[in-house]
Amino acid sequence: MVSQFSGVLQLTDLDDFITPSQECVKPVKVEKKQGRSVAKIQIEDDGSYFQVKQDGGKQKLEKAKITLNDCLACSGCITSAESVLITQQSHEEIYRVLRNNKQAGVAEQKVVVVSVSPQSRASLAARYGLSSSEAGRRLTAFFKGLGVHHVFDTSFSRTFSLLESQREFVERFHRKEQDKQALPMLASACPGWICYAEKTHGEFILPYVSSTRSPQQMMGSLVKGFFAGQQGLNPQQIYHVTVMPCYDKKLEASRPDFYLEEADTREVDCVITSGEVVKMLEEEKVLLSDVEPAPLDTMFSSVCGDELLGHAGSGSGGYLHHVFTHAARQLFGEEVKELTYKTLKNKDFQEVTLERDGVVVLRFAATYGFRNIQNLVQKLKRGKSPYHFVEVMACPSGCLNGGGQVKPLPEQNNKELLQQVEDLYKEERPLVPEEDQHVAELYQSWLQSVGEERARELLHTQYHAVDKATNGLLVKW
Amino acid sequence: MKDTLALLQKFNAHPDSRCWYVAWNPKGTLLASCGGDRAIRIWGREGDSWECKTVLQDGHQRAVRKVAWSPCGNYLASASFDATTCIWKKKNDDFEVSCPQTIDQMLCDDSKIWPVRASHCLCFFQCLTVLEGHENEVKCVAWAPTGNLLATCSRDKSVWIWEVDEEDEYECVSVVNSHTQDVKHVVWHPTQELLASCSYDNNVCVYKEEDDDWECRATLEGHTSTVWGLTFDPSGQRLASCSDDRTVKIWKECQPGGGQGTDTAWKCVCTLSGFHGRTVYDIAWCPLTGALATACGDDGVRVFKEDETADPDQPVFSLSAHVPKAHSQDVNCIAWNPKEAGLLVSCSDNGEIAVWNYQSEV
Repeated sequence: MVSQFSGVLQLTDLDDFITPSQECVKPVKVEKKQGRSVAKIQIEDDGSYFQVKQDGGKQKLEKAKITLNDCLACSGCITSAESVLITQQSHEEIYRVLRNNKQAGVAEQKVVVVSVSPQSRASLAARYGLSSSEAGRRLTAFFKGLGVHHVFDTSFSRTFSLLESQREFVERFHRKEQDKQALPMLASACPGWICYAEKTHGEFILPYVSSTRSPQQMMGSLVKGFFAGQQGLNPQQIYHVTVMPCYDKKLEASRPDFYLEEADTREVDCVITSGEVVKMLEEEKVLLSDVEPAPLDTMFSSVCGDELLGHAGSGSGGYLHHVFTHAARQLFGEEVKELTYKTLKNKDFQEVTLERDGVVVLRFAATYGFRNIQNLVQKLKRGKSPYHFVEVMACPSGCLNGGGQVKPLPEQNNKELLQQVEDLYKEERPLVPEEDQHVAELYQSWLQSVGEERARELLHTQYHAVDKATNGLLVKW
Repeated sequence: MKDTLALLQKFNAHPDSRCWYVAWNPKGTLLASCGGDRAIRIWGREGDSWECKTVLQDGHQRAVRKVAWSPCGNYLASASFDATTCIWKKKNDDFEVSCPQTIDQMLCDDSKIWPVRASHCLCFFQCLTVLEGHENEVKCVAWAPTGNLLATCSRDKSVWIWEVDEEDEYECVSVVNSHTQDVKHVVWHPTQELLASCSYDNNVCVYKEEDDDWECRATLEGHTSTVWGLTFDPSGQRLASCSDDRTVKIWKECQPGGGQGTDTAWKCVCTLSGFHGRTVYDIAWCPLTGALATACGDDGVRVFKEDETADPDQPVFSLSAHVPKAHSQDVNCIAWNPKEAGLLVSCSDNGEIAVWNYQSEV
């Protein structure tokens, strides 16, 4: 099966992040010893094997070992990281949880929350001929009809990501003379990029990567942190699903850093893609356009009336736009009304600059896709990167073109569909992060109250360099 | 008079190691070889024999699998199992040095130059840059005819296209993932910016630039096992591939049905089977004579000739010359001299290079 993960992640080898099952089904050849062929084998409680000899004496048997050659010949080891992720996080899993809820007693029931990304909304809107907000309202109704309790929008949690990114940049800019690894700051919302960075460039690149959490994981903090507390629930009692434009987000949700040890639960339990939502609709034999719209849940959604609000900037979150405008204002007192993007080598590599008296004081870039990430990192390694901030995304054309987005219909052209999705996405009225009252309230009430250290845990994350696997079993010949 | 393939010289190029590849420079005056000993050697003709001009020793940490000269002849690229591709720049033209003191002076001047005091002609190369990015072993490197594009392919299943600018800086232009297994070889069309690759997945892919990105425009299926080598005919209209299935296939591009930007279709117009005893590891189409030479795992070197009278859409090739035990082990590579008709070179797992003269009655 051709991989559905981003090109960047495919080249990174997922198996180094999740070790595939090493349970072997191949019968082992054992060295036959001369002598009686009759023997009794006893299995102890702890799973060890003992051979019981005729005189009653026990002899512990050695564990059978498989050589690499045997392993290559066997097709028993079918579990790979990809299949683990895809089966553990699928729409079937969601149905299972919803079914359990119906049958379970009050104590075992879970509060099911679905957080939808604006990119997935736009993709579904394009498929069913709706506006993005209309798609949002109908998705709310559809999910609630299945037994979901709340449907949120990750543009809301993205406001946190944007605010934190802005603050982090200014802080890094201030310490750039003392800390050579403060700049360029590299955006971190894309898990395909993060996993590639951790695996391929490790300790070299990680100091440059923004510690700000992605909108998905911000929502994880909000739902399993704030919301759980507010509702008097144990985080384990919440089943949090996110709807994302790519498969790489499944990997992000399963990162150990986003696992709540005490509550023994993940901040995001299941990620499904826009395409998987279409599968769900098809299984329910319903068109999204036929679903009666329901009012939007306002708790963790940026809503104005019955319209969902978005953010200015790119379809991948607008990090460049927001960090640039904030930095221009904070650091140079400039109010930037509109950004001028210059296309460099290719359309997935764009640059924005701020000039003061003919001197470039801020140089930002957006690099999407593996080839541009390659060049960015190589230039950085040679000390030749001229940028202060880079919005890095693994997918060419960004998140709107993610691997999990709804595929074009037979009569549709890829490019046309992408343009349609982009147009629907941009239709949403933008909200200025600093002006979001609801978010400001949460900063004051919730984040202040938990203290600085906990607040940092909730809004930021860490990265870990991954060693290339030297285990022979994991090498693909 | 029968067609003949006569051995001119045989020498050990990579001691106690495999010789993986040999490549002629565009002028046909120098031969680059690379091997399992992690070294690259440059050979030049001295009278009737070939002598080592230079050893490029410390460029790679693992075996060097292929080497390729740039169209201008001033650069050499080497692809290695250490996952990198080195670009070497030739620092001077061959010249005579009579005074030993002058040689020592040159050696001190530049720390990364490796000459060899083998004879009166010397050859200096400097490592310009190391291209990183592939996840694991790089299997091949090739220069585009225009000279400013480079292609590499790897066991990581990807094909990378790089661009070089006026300041000798290399940047990745595209990464294409059309193969599902180890990519063994890449080759450029002789005149156009068209690239072909072949793989352990039994297929050949053909790539073209579309908008600002390279895409696979055609997948040539037909071989029933790993495709090891590719070569274009002198005109670039046909592609020959060789495989572990012991056959050689000739492919021709069919005229597309109509409309712009449609995928091109390549048809297999000829299959040479029953000639090779084992895997065919390399194939080379002579740009001067149109003869097709193969390197085989049965230790043999073969030359095929095309039947002039056959229908161009149904070419016929016949075995023109065959040396069954050309080497004592697998023949890994075969290369025609681009300027001297009939001059052919092969190399083997036993570390040897053999120089041949192919004569054909017209």
